[in-house]
Amino acid sequence: MRLLYVAILSSLILFTLSPTQEPSYGMNSVLLKVGMQDEPKTLNPFKASDVWTWNVIGYFYESLYAYKPLTFEVIPWVADGYPEFSDDYKEAIVHIKRGIKWEDGTELTAHDVVFTAKIMMEFKIPRYWSSWEFVESVEALDNYTVKFKLKECRVTFMEGTLMSIIVQKKKWEKIVDEAKRSEDPFNYLTEYKNEKPISAGPFVFGEWKRGSYIFIKRNPNYYFSGYKFNYTFQTLEEMREFLSSRPGLEQYADFEEKKITLTIGPFVDGILYKIYRTTDAAILALDKGDIDYIWWPIQPGYVKLLKENENVSMISTPENGIRYLAFNLRKDPFRIKEFRQAMAYLIDKHFIRDRILQGLGEYLCTVVPPGNKAWYNPNVKCYGDEGQGMSRAERVRKAVELLKKAGFSWEVEPRIEGDRIIPGKGLIMPNGEKVPEFDILTPPADYDPLRFETSRRIQEWWREVGVPVTAQPTSFATITQRVFKEWNFDVYVLGWRLSLLPDYLRDFFHSSQIIKDGYNPMGYYNPELDKLADEFVACGPREEKVKIAYRLQEIIAEDLPYIPLYSQSNIEAFRTDRFKGWFSQGLGSISASISYLKPVNTTTSEVSEQGGEKGIGYESYIWALISILAISLVTTLAWRRNRR
Amino acid sequence: MSLATYIIKRTIQIAITLFVVITILFFLFRVMPGDPTAFLLDPKMSPEAKEIIRKQFGLDKPLYVQYVLYVRNVLKGDFGTSFYYGVPVFERIKELLPNTLLLWVPAILLSYFIGINVGRRIAWKRGSKEEYIMIVLGLFFLGMPIFWFGMIMIWLFYHELGIFPAGGMMTPELWLDPSTPLWKKVADIVYHLLLPIITLSIGGFAGSMLLMRNSMLDTLREDYITTARAKGLKESVIRDKHAARNAMLPIVTAMSISLAFSAGGGVLTETIFSWPGLGREIVQAVLNYDYPLAQAAFFYISVIVLFANLVADVLYAYLDPRIKY
Amino acid sequence: MRFRDSWETFRRSRVGPIGLMILLVFVLMAVSGPIYVYIRGEEIYHPLKGVDPVIKGVSPPSIRHPLGTDHLGRDLLAQLMYGAQTSFLIGITAAAMAVFIGTSVGLTAGYFGGAIDNLLMRIVDIMMVLPGLPLIIITAAAIGKQSIWIIVFLIAILGWAGTARVIRSQTLSLRERPFVEAARVAGASDTRIIFKHIAPNVLPLTTLYLTLGIPGVIITEAAISFLGLGDPSKVSWGMMLQWAFTTGNTYNPYWLFPPGLCITLMALAFYLIGRGMEEIINPRLREI
Repeated sequence: MRLLYVAILSSLILFTLSPTQEPSYGMNSVLLKVGMQDEPKTLNPFKASDVWTWNVIGYFYESLYAYKPLTFEVIPWVADGYPEFSDDYKEAIVHIKRGIKWEDGTELTAHDVVFTAKIMMEFKIPRYWSSWEFVESVEALDNYTVKFKLKECRVTFMEGTLMSIIVQKKKWEKIVDEAKRSEDPFNYLTEYKNEKPISAGPFVFGEWKRGSYIFIKRNPNYYFSGYKFNYTFQTLEEMREFLSSRPGLEQYADFEEKKITLTIGPFVDGILYKIYRTTDAAILALDKGDIDYIWWPIQPGYVKLLKENENVSMISTPENGIRYLAFNLRKDPFRIKEFRQAMAYLIDKHFIRDRILQGLGEYLCTVVPPGNKAWYNPNVKCYGDEGQGMSRAERVRKAVELLKKAGFSWEVEPRIEGDRIIPGKGLIMPNGEKVPEFDILTPPADYDPLRFETSRRIQEWWREVGVPVTAQPTSFATITQRVFKEWNFDVYVLGWRLSLLPDYLRDFFHSSQIIKDGYNPMGYYNPELDKLADEFVACGPREEKVKIAYRLQEIIAEDLPYIPLYSQSNIEAFRTDRFKGWFSQGLGSISASISYLKPVNTTTSEVSEQGGEKGIGYESYIWALISILAISLVTTLAWRRNRR
Repeated sequence: MSLATYIIKRTIQIAITLFVVITILFFLFRVMPGDPTAFLLDPKMSPEAKEIIRKQFGLDKPLYVQYVLYVRNVLKGDFGTSFYYGVPVFERIKELLPNTLLLWVPAILLSYFIGINVGRRIAWKRGSKEEYIMIVLGLFFLGMPIFWFGMIMIWLFYHELGIFPAGGMMTPELWLDPSTPLWKKVADIVYHLLLPIITLSIGGFAGSMLLMRNSMLDTLREDYITTARAKGLKESVIRDKHAARNAMLPIVTAMSISLAFSAGGGVLTETIFSWPGLGREIVQAVLNYDYPLAQAAFFYISVIVLFANLVADVLYAYLDPRIKY
Repeated sequence: MRFRDSWETFRRSRVGPIGLMILLVFVLMAVSGPIYVYIRGEEIYHPLKGVDPVIKGVSPPSIRHPLGTDHLGRDLLAQLMYGAQTSFLIGITAAAMAVFIGTSVGLTAGYFGGAIDNLLMRIVDIMMVLPGLPLIIITAAAIGKQSIWIIVFLIAILGWAGTARVIRSQTLSLRERPFVEAARVAGASDTRIIFKHIAPNVLPLTTLYLTLGIPGVIITEAAISFLGLGDPSKVSWGMMLQWAFTTGNTYNPYWLFPPGLCITLMALAFYLIGRGMEEIINPRLREI
């Protein structure tokens, strides 16, 4: 028996001594290693709907138009120039650049565009359907010209329809034919596995080992390789101002020329996505240098740990998203506007920003996040949060005043003595009934504890004026079920990830969305908003759109079907010792910089290439095997001896 | 009753249990809120588009029709299509099942190996300091939340000492290299297995250790031990040849019971170590509201447990000559 | 005196008293939680609602906060103490419920035998082999509303089978004892025999299973919380760990170690007490 212990102990020591080395890259190349929390679901772009999938297959498909990095202007991409509209905006002609190639060498032509468009329209691909339902027909006039006929023109034509992906006709033709002949065409098409995607983008598909990793290679024939985005400035101040909200961008700046230039690569030979289910494991891997970038936001608690590593940097960028609280306007007292406004006064958004978000984010007064500068209206009503923000006592006073004006009363009225608030009890509605107890449905703390903390504070604040409310942790699926399908709720807190174009102002608040599965479960109806929102989504000059968007935000801030709460800033962590050039666009993820990254020092990778034989701590495997063998051998011996 | 009839009888019992499992699962998941569209909360996704997706999964049919369909399909081995991955569930399970067995079987064997050996030792040295320390230590590890322990293990052995990988099943760089020979790939997987196995075994050996100890103590009172002692046999021979062998029998039964319990540890360990197995998948599927997959994962975890039970029972019957089926 | 004998055996088990001592510390901790918060001021030190005007986020131990603060500047010591309360509460409730169900089933099956026994034991067989944690995970998710009492209920519902089996075999042997026979002859009803004559005799075993059940509940609750299916409106040690994990403080030792160690030690305490009790109940384990 003693032998057994000795064996275990000694093999453990052997293990500890065994050399572990920087792994080689397996291939003679410079790979960007990215940590992801989940792997793609599928390689079929008509099925894919989650971020993990698009993080990978997004590199395979180009679109006619695209957002210019940093400024988010719409620019022609595969298209050559802007579309030529007919006078009534019902027809548009789009030209296509010559010489864009698929990875198999065939050219991307108008036929591919038309073919993809037909898939979108005939199969009603859910992810794109809202951008295509108003398109009547698409045809190729020649190899490089496409004509779109529209039932009506919507703003999403440019920033939706013309930004849809393009797939290769040659590859998909057969599949689509088979799908059409099958019993359930939609099913057939979306179930297609697409194990060998054809790419026209910066990367092509390499290899996928389910559950462990996925690998994509640089596309050597990428049309846009070397394409430059230029940004010039009048003055240095203007340039510095521009850079200040976009950390990391100064690496691309030329201060003498007052110019910023982004050159499309990719300058890496491939991207290796590794799957880490827990952020903890990913953080440790980043710290150790096993990955270069974690493609999801990390929690502020890790900052301290990572700061100690000089090769790791972090950038925090505002997300293009909002967290909000919404009321069921079909019910009392939520249907009363003054009630909602009073409740808004009671929510101390400064507290939420400083305490709960720890400064990593911004409180919101309107549903358009401030980072979306083109559409954000900075001058809407903010219920006690303008400037420094009101004190608690002032908030309660204001809320009580509003409630009284609307005809509310109390069993015990809340009082304010100096700074102290004596909470009220038994709020009575204008119709004489007591406000019933109700819940704020909130997603639990599974991956984002902040939402629940926010709700629980709101619960405390509202209770001060005698509102009998409880923050109720409820699973996400239950909330969506009760809110969007059953309308069986009082108040809920959820979030949205948003698009740049704020057509969601219509989606969330237009009365046509008061349907099952619609996005206006509150039952909010304001004829003025409906009319403006309809105007907003129709095609027209941009300046006018901005004006309407501003007005829409004002109406929403006055009526408060939503109380916008906050918008988070996402911290992203990356290593700087192997690649340089990470930057923030001022909104969204820094993953957008992957196309511009440059290897810091190619020699390091060459060294490890040559060291293929001794790289990867093969020794540790050998040691592992030897130790296992040793353990089993010695144990068997010990076992035998004991039995004798 | 012969061994064969016994096995048949047990198999029927297992079949009934599985049927109960299927039924519970079906109703649990159908009353569960959310469906494949739950995570598609995106203003770009119109109600009409959502309905298209729902139809694809047959969720527009009434509940009892769904149930009959479901049972029929399960009997055919078809668990439907995963909401999340969009592939037939069995395709996922097929990939995950071997991985789970690869982790669980050695872990359970190792934990029993440690438990039985330490157990018979401390029973023999009843009242010694060693017994005392091992009991307290074993129970300490048993009381430890395994996910917490696992995180500490990763931090220590991956981050601080750099001996073991952070998790997962393979080193992508190694597998990507076409020149890597097979043995290195095998070694790579073994290398990734070690830390989770050690974690699981340390967290679980106390159960079998205490069982073995108690069983040994029982056995030591038997007449034949006294006889053996009287015959003047060597102590170690009595301990290992006479006492331990007989004391093993109740352990085998206990093993079959504790397997259901070990499944919990397995689920958490897989989650912490990013091990692509059934346990991690069940957690992931539940969080994704992917009920076909969660059902199937649970079903197969139950199958593993039940099968292991059957093996343990048959083993018991085989080992113990006193048993008449 | 029986009690003194038992205590002597318990004491001589050596592990029992240690368990009792650890447990005593936790009881003290649970009791002093509210006192600590009251003395130092509810405004700042409340484990959930506390707002410290000076310390706004994570901080290491200090005089102001002996164990440091969490991501919202709340006192970790207060949370730890309230966590002890929660652990006792849920541990004892769930284990008691499970043992109650198990004992009832075991008594019924063992006493009446025949078809009832057969049916109940088949159910027990099924319950025994269901993988508990995965089933709790999916059931908790199916229910949707995340409340600690639902978790307690689930643990209890899925955890009674072991007790039932043991109590049944005990009842089987008790049923044949002379005193039960005598009662039956005297015309006592089944209910009376079960409650008056058999139940008191299985009580020690029931207590043992109760003790050994509690750690399982505490660990399971922690695991459920860790997976994100717990109740964030109650402070429990599992929830404290979940907060540490979801805010990126996994490797912050001041936050990671106390709750984990508390879970471990409390579980250990109950296990040790259980060992001690086993020596009393099962004389065959006593030292020769």
